[in-house]
Amino acid sequence: MLRIRQVLVLAGLTALEALRQPICLLLTGTCVLLTALAPMLVMHVFGEEGKLARDSGLAFHFVFGMFVAGHAACACVAREIRCGTTATVLSKPVGRTLFFASKFAGVAAVVLAFSACATLATLLSERVAEKLHTGPEGWGYVTDWRAGWLLAAAPFAAAAAAGAINWALRRPFESTAFLLLLCAVPAAFFICGFFDRLGRPAPLDFRVDWRILPAAALIAMALLVLAAAAMAVATRLPTVPTLTVVAGLFLAGLVSDHFLGRRAAASPAALFLYRLIPNWQNFWLCDALTGGGAIAWSYVAQAGLYAAACVTAFLGLGALSFAHVEMK
Amino acid sequence: MSAPSAVESAAPAVVEIRGLTKIFRDFWRRPKVRAVDGLDLEVRPGEIFGLLGPNGSGKTTTLKIMLGLLFPSGGEVRVFGRPPHDIATKRRIGYLPEESALYGYLTPRETLDFYGRLFALPAAPRRERAGQLLRMVGLAHAAERPVGEFSKGMSRRIGLAQALINDPELVVLDEPTAGLDPIGCRQIKDLMLALARRGKTIVLSSHLLADVEDVCDRIVILYNGRIRAQGGVTDLLEKKDLTRITVPAVPAETLRAVIGMLRESTGRAPEVEHPTMDLEHFFLQVVEEAHRSSQAPSGVGRADGTARYLDGREAGRGN
Repeated sequence: MLRIRQVLVLAGLTALEALRQPICLLLTGTCVLLTALAPMLVMHVFGEEGKLARDSGLAFHFVFGMFVAGHAACACVAREIRCGTTATVLSKPVGRTLFFASKFAGVAAVVLAFSACATLATLLSERVAEKLHTGPEGWGYVTDWRAGWLLAAAPFAAAAAAGAINWALRRPFESTAFLLLLCAVPAAFFICGFFDRLGRPAPLDFRVDWRILPAAALIAMALLVLAAAAMAVATRLPTVPTLTVVAGLFLAGLVSDHFLGRRAAASPAALFLYRLIPNWQNFWLCDALTGGGAIAWSYVAQAGLYAAACVTAFLGLGALSFAHVEMK
Repeated sequence: MSAPSAVESAAPAVVEIRGLTKIFRDFWRRPKVRAVDGLDLEVRPGEIFGLLGPNGSGKTTTLKIMLGLLFPSGGEVRVFGRPPHDIATKRRIGYLPEESALYGYLTPRETLDFYGRLFALPAAPRRERAGQLLRMVGLAHAAERPVGEFSKGMSRRIGLAQALINDPELVVLDEPTAGLDPIGCRQIKDLMLALARRGKTIVLSSHLLADVEDVCDRIVILYNGRIRAQGGVTDLLEKKDLTRITVPAVPAETLRAVIGMLRESTGRAPEVEHPTMDLEHFFLQVVEEAHRSSQAPSGVGRADGTARYLDGREAGRGN
């Protein structure tokens, strides 16, 4: 029971510390804003506005999420070892493995919160994109400006409200703004449900492409794997080298199908490396949605098992390494 | 200093170190520095034990090995009869690191609450202790400011408070007075004495000799990782061939007569001087007066005495 409490306390602190760093708010807010603006600012996409908005939103989700995951993972391991907070915590009745696992739980909470925000933004962004609209009044290509501006306003509204709360109650601005953003984006999503694409009041219907959900879930899984890898490396290396190694791992995983997959049948070494390096292509399936296609949830479940195996492997290595780290 | 009976008790040692050696290695695992070299020492229950030495003499390394934060290259360390990394043992220890490493985005109250939760302290006593500790270290007025904004001295005080949240039996203080003003130093020394009176064991490292001299029962002096001197502070410092007599000011005639008698008895003239107040006491007096006439401070406020639960004035202690 004590251990469960300690996990919750340490994970909570890790998440709180991550959220109170301005970079986390900046990355999440920018991701939402860019996702909102993408369908409103693009021109000449030859009838593929929806695809562009969807792909852009998922790409922002992945790229900004990588920075959130990498930064949070490095901050809670490498930086804490260097500045001595880890030593202070480990002088309490806290085991090293429990400490390391709890840190990952905290980082995972932040990554999942970011992913939830980015996913809702992508769903709404795809709705905003210009599409053929038919109705009793006739037909035409329509951009859902109301939904677009509502989504784009969410980061600013969250920041303004957090500023007011900071002024009135002296609550920390960054974490308050992040939490308010987590509320503002779903609120925008929900409000839009009461309007049709022409901006007229209508019965609740979200009018979004739910096929995006499995694609976003796969990206969230990839981010968790990246966070686990970053945490494992951060037990031995400072922040910048850790991010460099993880970036290398990411690139290697992106090209492993091309360079290793084709040789795997002939070369045991290629097969070994192919199996060893996480294959990020398994998590990036945006193209599967093109032309009305869908990603089966059974595939998502299989990918979830693959991601869980990768996370377990990285955390195992990290915990093994962390058990022997000296707190100088 | 704590009662000699506690120091000389035959109870099992709180900390036992036998032949401790620590070699730091470089990236290629080649020996780089021998920080501790064949150290033997014992810390007994209820004593205030000082590790002295210049910078780089192995004090912090020894303390960190005692806490399981560093791993020994050789020798054996037992704390409460258990290996240093034993989790259950750490419930009985409080540690103030050399640099008060704190989560900069947390407030002092959140910091103490966090460490209290790690010991599974129930909410009510946790809040009560946090409040008492904040008052004790003079930071009750800054309880809602992020500790990242604090000065070094203020961080040090929060560091000390977190080390005591579990009412530990063994308190390990690494350079406890570093970065503190004389008032803070005096408070820490008073706190150590108060804890020792309650039977707590204290191990501290310092290179500020006056601090150690004021509070320690026994000391070891380290140099290059080896013990160069050890023993009771009084035994080590007492000059058995000299006697000092302090009396209220006397008339010149009486003084001359006494000097004559002493010269006759010892064969040499005694030194006679008017004793001076030491600077620490004078400073504390001046600041005390300033506190009485000042408004709310921006830095460290006026500190209460030792927290009630640490002073044994509260029932239901323990964690």
